[in-house]
Amino acid sequence: MVLLTILKKLKQKEREVRLLMLGLDNAGKTTILKKFNGEDINTISPTLGFNIKTLEHRGFKLNMWDVGGQKSLRSYWRNYFESTDGLIWVVDSADRARLQDCAQELAGLLLEERLAGATLLVFANKQDLPGALSKEDICEALELANIKTHHWCIQGCSAVTGENLLLGIDWLLDDISSRIFTAD
Amino acid sequence: MDDLEEENFSLSVSSPKDAEFDCVVGHLEDIIMDEEFQVLQRNFMEKYYKEFEDTEENKLSYTPIFNEYICLVEKYIEDQLLERIPAFNMSAFISSLQSHQQEIAGDIFDILLTFTDFLAFKEMFLDYKAEKEGRGIDLSAGLVVTPLFSSSLSST
Repeated sequence: MVLLTILKKLKQKEREVRLLMLGLDNAGKTTILKKFNGEDINTISPTLGFNIKTLEHRGFKLNMWDVGGQKSLRSYWRNYFESTDGLIWVVDSADRARLQDCAQELAGLLLEERLAGATLLVFANKQDLPGALSKEDICEALELANIKTHHWCIQGCSAVTGENLLLGIDWLLDDISSRIFTAD
Repeated sequence: MDDLEEENFSLSVSSPKDAEFDCVVGHLEDIIMDEEFQVLQRNFMEKYYKEFEDTEENKLSYTPIFNEYICLVEKYIEDQLLERIPAFNMSAFISSLQSHQQEIAGDIFDILLTFTDFLAFKEMFLDYKAEKEGRGIDLSAGLVVTPLFSSSLSST
Protein backbone atom coordinates (compact mmCIF):
# COMPACT_ATOMS: atom_id res chain seq x y z
CA MET A 1 0.00 0.00 0.00
CA VAL A 2 2.72 2.44 -0.82
CA LEU A 3 2.04 3.09 -4.50
CA LEU A 4 0.76 6.63 -4.03
CA THR A 5 3.53 7.56 -1.60
CA ILE A 6 6.25 6.34 -3.94
CA LEU A 7 4.63 8.09 -6.85
CA LYS A 8 4.55 11.31 -4.90
CA LYS A 9 8.23 11.02 -4.08
CA LEU A 10 9.15 10.30 -7.69
CA LYS A 11 7.20 13.27 -8.96
CA GLN A 12 8.38 15.59 -6.27
CA LYS A 13 11.73 16.38 -7.72
CA GLU A 14 10.46 19.69 -9.00
CA ARG A 15 11.96 21.59 -6.09
CA GLU A 16 9.00 21.08 -3.84
CA VAL A 17 9.49 21.31 -0.09
CA ARG A 18 7.23 20.72 2.87
CA LEU A 19 7.64 23.07 5.80
CA LEU A 20 5.96 22.45 9.13
CA MET A 21 5.47 25.43 11.42
CA LEU A 22 4.96 24.69 15.09
CA GLY A 23 5.28 26.50 18.40
CA LEU A 24 3.25 27.40 21.48
CA ASP A 25 -0.08 29.14 21.00
CA ASN A 26 0.13 32.88 20.39
CA ALA A 27 3.68 32.58 19.06
CA GLY A 28 2.62 34.09 15.73
CA LYS A 29 2.68 31.09 13.39
CA THR A 30 -0.40 31.98 11.41
CA THR A 31 0.67 35.61 11.23
CA ILE A 32 4.03 34.56 9.78
CA LEU A 33 2.28 32.33 7.26
CA LYS A 34 -0.11 35.07 6.15
CA LYS A 35 2.47 37.81 6.16
CA PHE A 36 4.77 35.67 4.05
CA ASN A 37 1.89 35.04 1.67
CA GLY A 38 1.09 38.75 1.45
CA GLU A 39 -2.28 38.48 3.19
CA ASP A 40 -4.04 40.72 5.68
CA ILE A 41 -2.88 39.97 9.24
CA ASN A 42 -5.28 42.12 11.22
CA THR A 43 -8.02 39.59 11.83
CA ILE A 44 -6.20 36.45 12.89
CA SER A 45 -7.78 34.40 15.65
CA PRO A 46 -6.21 31.49 17.53
CA THR A 47 -5.80 28.46 15.27
CA LEU A 48 -7.78 25.46 16.46
CA GLY A 49 -7.00 23.31 13.45
CA PHE A 50 -4.38 23.88 10.78
CA ASN A 51 -3.66 26.10 7.82
CA ILE A 52 -1.92 25.24 4.58
CA LYS A 53 -0.43 27.61 2.06
CA THR A 54 1.25 26.62 -1.13
CA LEU A 55 3.49 29.33 -2.43
CA GLU A 56 6.24 29.88 -4.91
CA HIS A 57 9.49 31.39 -3.74
CA ARG A 58 12.84 31.46 -5.54
CA GLY A 59 11.68 28.75 -7.90
CA PHE A 60 10.68 26.48 -5.04
CA LYS A 61 7.19 25.29 -4.38
CA LEU A 62 6.66 25.65 -0.64
CA ASN A 63 3.96 23.66 1.08
CA MET A 64 3.67 25.37 4.44
CA TRP A 65 1.69 23.74 7.22
CA ASP A 66 0.77 25.69 10.33
CA VAL A 67 -0.83 23.71 13.16
CA GLY A 68 -2.49 25.24 16.23
CA GLY A 69 -0.26 25.40 19.32
CA GLN A 70 -2.63 25.27 22.27
CA LYS A 71 -1.71 22.65 24.83
CA SER A 72 -4.70 20.47 24.00
CA LEU A 73 -3.73 20.46 20.32
CA ARG A 74 -0.07 19.56 20.66
CA SER A 75 -0.70 15.82 20.73
CA TYR A 76 -2.03 16.19 17.17
CA TRP A 77 1.22 17.67 15.90
CA ARG A 78 2.55 14.21 15.18
CA ASN A 79 -0.06 13.74 12.46
CA TYR A 80 1.79 16.34 10.42
CA PHE A 81 5.41 15.15 10.77
CA GLU A 82 5.51 12.89 7.72
CA SER A 83 7.74 14.03 4.85
CA THR A 84 8.69 17.30 6.54
CA ASP A 85 11.78 18.88 5.01
CA GLY A 86 11.93 21.90 7.29
CA LEU A 87 10.62 22.52 10.80
CA ILE A 88 9.96 26.15 11.68
CA TRP A 89 9.74 26.62 15.43
CA VAL A 90 8.14 29.94 16.30
CA VAL A 91 8.84 31.58 19.66
CA ASP A 92 7.07 34.54 21.25
CA SER A 93 10.22 36.32 22.41
CA ALA A 94 8.21 38.47 24.82
CA ASP A 95 6.60 35.52 26.59
CA ARG A 96 9.25 34.96 29.23
CA ALA A 97 6.89 33.03 31.49
CA ARG A 98 6.51 30.17 29.04
CA LEU A 99 10.04 29.97 27.72
CA GLN A 100 10.69 26.79 29.68
CA ASP A 101 7.57 25.18 28.28
CA CYS A 102 8.66 26.30 24.84
CA ALA A 103 12.11 24.74 25.25
CA GLN A 104 10.63 21.44 26.42
CA GLU A 105 8.22 21.16 23.52
CA LEU A 106 10.99 21.80 21.02
CA ALA A 107 13.31 19.30 22.69
CA GLY A 108 10.53 16.71 22.41
CA LEU A 109 10.10 17.36 18.71
CA LEU A 110 13.79 16.93 18.01
CA LEU A 111 13.55 13.37 19.34
CA GLU A 112 10.84 12.47 16.86
CA GLU A 113 12.04 9.95 14.34
CA ARG A 114 9.85 11.29 11.57
CA LEU A 115 11.41 14.73 11.95
CA ALA A 116 14.93 13.37 12.03
CA GLY A 117 15.66 14.50 8.49
CA ALA A 118 14.25 18.00 8.87
CA THR A 119 16.22 21.24 9.03
CA LEU A 120 15.29 23.43 12.00
CA LEU A 121 14.65 27.15 11.71
CA VAL A 122 13.81 28.97 14.94
CA PHE A 123 12.00 32.27 14.58
CA ALA A 124 12.51 34.47 17.64
CA ASN A 125 9.34 36.35 16.81
CA LYS A 126 7.88 39.60 18.12
CA GLN A 127 11.19 41.47 18.12
CA ASP A 128 9.07 44.59 17.59
CA LEU A 129 7.72 44.33 21.15
CA PRO A 130 9.61 46.36 23.80
CA GLY A 131 10.01 43.46 26.28
CA ALA A 132 11.21 40.94 23.72
CA LEU A 133 14.26 38.83 24.50
CA SER A 134 17.04 38.91 21.92
CA LYS A 135 17.65 35.97 19.63
CA GLU A 136 20.80 35.24 21.67
CA ASP A 137 18.70 34.93 24.83
CA ILE A 138 16.22 32.67 23.08
CA CYS A 139 19.06 30.60 21.65
CA GLU A 140 20.37 30.05 25.15
CA ALA A 141 16.99 29.31 26.67
CA LEU A 142 16.25 26.69 24.02
CA GLU A 143 19.80 25.30 24.34
CA LEU A 144 20.16 25.29 20.59
CA ALA A 145 23.94 24.96 20.83
CA ASN A 146 23.44 21.42 22.13
CA ILE A 147 21.58 20.26 19.05
CA LYS A 148 23.67 17.73 17.16
CA THR A 149 20.92 15.91 15.31
CA HIS A 150 19.61 18.67 13.05
CA HIS A 151 20.93 21.55 11.01
CA TRP A 152 19.57 24.60 12.76
CA CYS A 153 19.51 28.39 12.66
CA ILE A 154 17.84 31.06 14.77
CA GLN A 155 16.52 34.27 13.32
CA GLY A 156 15.07 37.24 15.20
CA CYS A 157 12.00 38.48 13.38
CA SER A 158 8.71 40.29 13.51
CA ALA A 159 5.72 38.72 11.82
CA VAL A 160 3.84 42.00 12.11
CA THR A 161 6.42 44.11 10.27
CA GLY A 162 7.70 41.19 8.22
CA GLU A 163 11.26 41.93 9.30
CA ASN A 164 13.71 39.06 8.67
CA LEU A 165 11.04 36.55 7.67
CA LEU A 166 12.57 36.19 4.23
CA LEU A 167 16.07 35.87 5.64
CA GLY A 168 14.98 32.92 7.74
CA ILE A 169 13.05 31.18 4.97
CA ASP A 170 15.94 31.71 2.55
CA TRP A 171 18.40 30.10 4.94
CA LEU A 172 16.00 27.19 5.40
CA LEU A 173 15.62 26.71 1.65
CA ASP A 174 19.37 26.87 1.11
CA ASP A 175 19.96 24.23 3.73
CA ILE A 176 17.19 21.94 2.51
CA SER A 177 18.20 22.22 -1.12
CA SER A 178 21.84 21.54 -0.36
CA ARG A 179 20.77 18.39 1.47
CA ILE A 180 18.09 17.11 -0.87
CA PHE A 181 18.35 18.39 -4.38
CA THR A 182 22.07 18.06 -4.84
CA ALA A 183 21.86 14.44 -3.75
CA ASP A 184 19.96 13.47 -6.92
CA MET B 1 10.43 7.61 -50.84
CA ASP B 2 13.49 5.70 -49.72
CA ASP B 3 13.18 7.28 -46.34
CA LEU B 4 9.74 5.86 -45.87
CA GLU B 5 10.72 2.37 -46.89
CA GLU B 6 13.69 2.34 -44.62
CA GLU B 7 11.79 3.61 -41.64
CA ASN B 8 12.90 1.82 -38.57
CA PHE B 9 10.05 0.08 -36.86
CA SER B 10 12.11 -1.43 -34.12
CA LEU B 11 11.30 1.49 -31.84
CA SER B 12 7.71 0.39 -31.53
CA VAL B 13 8.72 -3.08 -30.43
CA SER B 14 8.95 -2.89 -26.68
CA SER B 15 10.66 -5.27 -24.37
CA PRO B 16 8.47 -7.67 -22.39
CA LYS B 17 9.11 -5.60 -19.30
CA ASP B 18 7.93 -2.42 -20.98
CA ALA B 19 4.88 -4.20 -22.28
CA GLU B 20 4.11 -5.36 -18.77
CA PHE B 21 4.46 -1.84 -17.47
CA ASP B 22 2.20 -0.44 -20.19
CA CYS B 23 -0.32 -3.13 -19.43
CA VAL B 24 -0.51 -2.15 -15.76
CA VAL B 25 -0.81 1.52 -16.70
CA GLY B 26 -3.67 0.65 -19.04
CA HIS B 27 -5.45 -1.17 -16.24
CA LEU B 28 -4.83 1.70 -13.85
CA GLU B 29 -6.63 4.00 -16.27
CA ASP B 30 -9.55 1.61 -16.53
CA ILE B 31 -9.78 1.26 -12.76
CA ILE B 32 -9.87 4.99 -12.12
CA MET B 33 -12.40 5.65 -14.88
CA ASP B 34 -14.64 2.79 -13.81
CA GLU B 35 -18.00 3.67 -12.32
CA GLU B 36 -17.29 1.38 -9.40
CA PHE B 37 -14.49 3.70 -8.35
CA GLN B 38 -16.75 6.73 -8.47
CA VAL B 39 -19.22 4.84 -6.28
CA LEU B 40 -16.44 4.11 -3.82
CA GLN B 41 -15.54 7.81 -3.70
CA ARG B 42 -19.13 8.94 -3.33
CA ASN B 43 -19.80 6.47 -0.54
CA PHE B 44 -16.77 7.74 1.28
CA MET B 45 -17.84 11.35 0.88
CA GLU B 46 -21.38 10.52 1.95
CA LYS B 47 -19.96 9.16 5.19
CA TYR B 48 -17.96 12.27 6.08
CA TYR B 49 -19.13 15.31 4.15
CA LYS B 50 -21.03 16.79 7.10
CA GLU B 51 -17.72 17.21 8.91
CA PHE B 52 -16.38 19.57 6.24
CA GLU B 53 -16.86 23.31 6.27
CA ASP B 54 -15.99 25.90 3.71
CA THR B 55 -13.54 27.84 5.85
CA GLU B 56 -9.90 28.59 5.21
CA GLU B 57 -8.72 26.97 8.42
CA ASN B 58 -8.89 23.20 8.42
CA LYS B 59 -10.20 21.11 11.28
CA LEU B 60 -7.81 18.60 12.82
CA SER B 61 -10.45 15.96 12.16
CA TYR B 62 -9.89 16.25 8.40
CA THR B 63 -6.46 14.66 8.69
CA PRO B 64 -7.51 11.16 9.83
CA ILE B 65 -10.28 11.23 7.22
CA PHE B 66 -7.69 12.13 4.60
CA ASN B 67 -5.42 9.31 5.69
CA GLU B 68 -8.31 6.87 5.61
CA TYR B 69 -9.12 8.04 2.09
CA ILE B 70 -5.58 7.48 0.82
CA CYS B 71 -5.55 3.98 2.33
CA LEU B 72 -8.93 3.21 0.81
CA VAL B 73 -7.94 4.37 -2.66
CA GLU B 74 -4.60 2.62 -2.51
CA LYS B 75 -6.13 -0.64 -1.35
CA TYR B 76 -8.86 -0.43 -3.97
CA ILE B 77 -6.35 0.10 -6.76
CA GLU B 78 -4.18 -2.75 -5.58
CA ASP B 79 -7.12 -5.15 -5.22
CA GLN B 80 -8.41 -4.22 -8.64
CA LEU B 81 -5.02 -4.72 -10.25
CA LEU B 82 -4.75 -8.14 -8.61
CA GLU B 83 -8.18 -9.02 -9.90
CA ARG B 84 -7.39 -7.95 -13.43
CA ILE B 85 -3.79 -9.21 -13.59
CA PRO B 86 -3.55 -12.46 -11.62
CA ALA B 87 0.24 -12.38 -11.45
CA PHE B 88 0.37 -8.74 -10.47
CA ASN B 89 3.11 -7.83 -8.02
CA MET B 90 2.93 -4.38 -6.48
CA SER B 91 6.54 -4.14 -5.39
CA ALA B 92 7.73 -5.18 -8.86
CA PHE B 93 5.48 -2.52 -10.38
CA ILE B 94 6.77 0.10 -7.98
CA SER B 95 10.36 -0.67 -8.86
CA SER B 96 9.53 -0.49 -12.57
CA LEU B 97 8.01 2.93 -11.86
CA GLN B 98 11.45 4.13 -10.87
CA SER B 99 12.93 3.01 -14.19
CA HIS B 100 10.06 4.54 -16.18
CA GLN B 101 10.38 7.95 -14.60
CA GLN B 102 10.07 9.78 -17.91
CA GLU B 103 6.77 8.11 -18.64
CA ILE B 104 5.13 8.89 -15.34
CA ALA B 105 4.37 12.34 -16.62
CA GLY B 106 1.14 10.97 -18.07
CA ASP B 107 -2.37 11.97 -17.08
CA ILE B 108 -3.05 8.84 -15.12
CA PHE B 109 -0.18 9.54 -12.77
CA ASP B 110 -1.31 13.12 -12.33
CA ILE B 111 -4.73 11.83 -11.37
CA LEU B 112 -3.23 9.32 -8.96
CA LEU B 113 -1.18 12.09 -7.41
CA THR B 114 -4.19 14.28 -6.73
CA PHE B 115 -5.39 11.54 -4.38
CA THR B 116 -2.53 12.47 -2.10
CA ASP B 117 -3.10 16.22 -2.35
CA PHE B 118 -4.85 17.45 0.77
CA LEU B 119 -6.20 20.65 -0.76
CA ALA B 120 -7.67 18.75 -3.71
CA PHE B 121 -9.22 16.34 -1.20
CA LYS B 122 -10.82 19.17 0.76
CA GLU B 123 -12.10 20.76 -2.45
CA MET B 124 -13.68 17.47 -3.48
CA PHE B 125 -15.54 17.28 -0.18
CA LEU B 126 -16.70 20.88 -0.34
CA ASP B 127 -18.00 20.33 -3.88
CA TYR B 128 -19.83 17.23 -2.76
CA LYS B 129 -21.30 19.04 0.21
CA ALA B 130 -22.44 21.96 -1.96
CA GLU B 131 -24.07 19.47 -4.30
CA LYS B 132 -25.80 17.67 -1.42
CA GLU B 133 -27.09 20.89 -0.01
CA GLY B 134 -28.33 22.07 -3.37
CA ARG B 135 -25.72 24.74 -3.78
CA GLY B 136 -23.98 23.09 -6.69
CA ILE B 137 -23.69 24.90 -9.96
CA ASP B 138 -26.89 24.19 -11.84
CA LEU B 139 -25.78 23.86 -15.42
CA SER B 140 -29.28 23.07 -16.66
CA ALA B 141 -30.20 26.76 -16.38
CA GLY B 142 -27.68 27.50 -19.08
CA LEU B 143 -29.04 24.84 -21.38
CA VAL B 144 -31.33 26.01 -24.13
CA VAL B 145 -33.10 23.47 -26.29
CA THR B 146 -33.70 24.61 -29.84
CA PRO B 147 -35.44 22.62 -32.55
CA LEU B 148 -33.28 21.34 -35.35
CA PHE B 149 -35.65 22.73 -37.96
CA SER B 150 -37.38 26.06 -37.74
CA SER B 151 -41.13 25.82 -37.04
CA SER B 152 -42.06 27.20 -40.43
CA LEU B 153 -40.48 24.24 -42.14
CA SER B 154 -41.88 21.59 -39.82
CA SER B 155 -45.46 22.81 -40.05
CA THR B 156 -47.42 20.84 -42.60
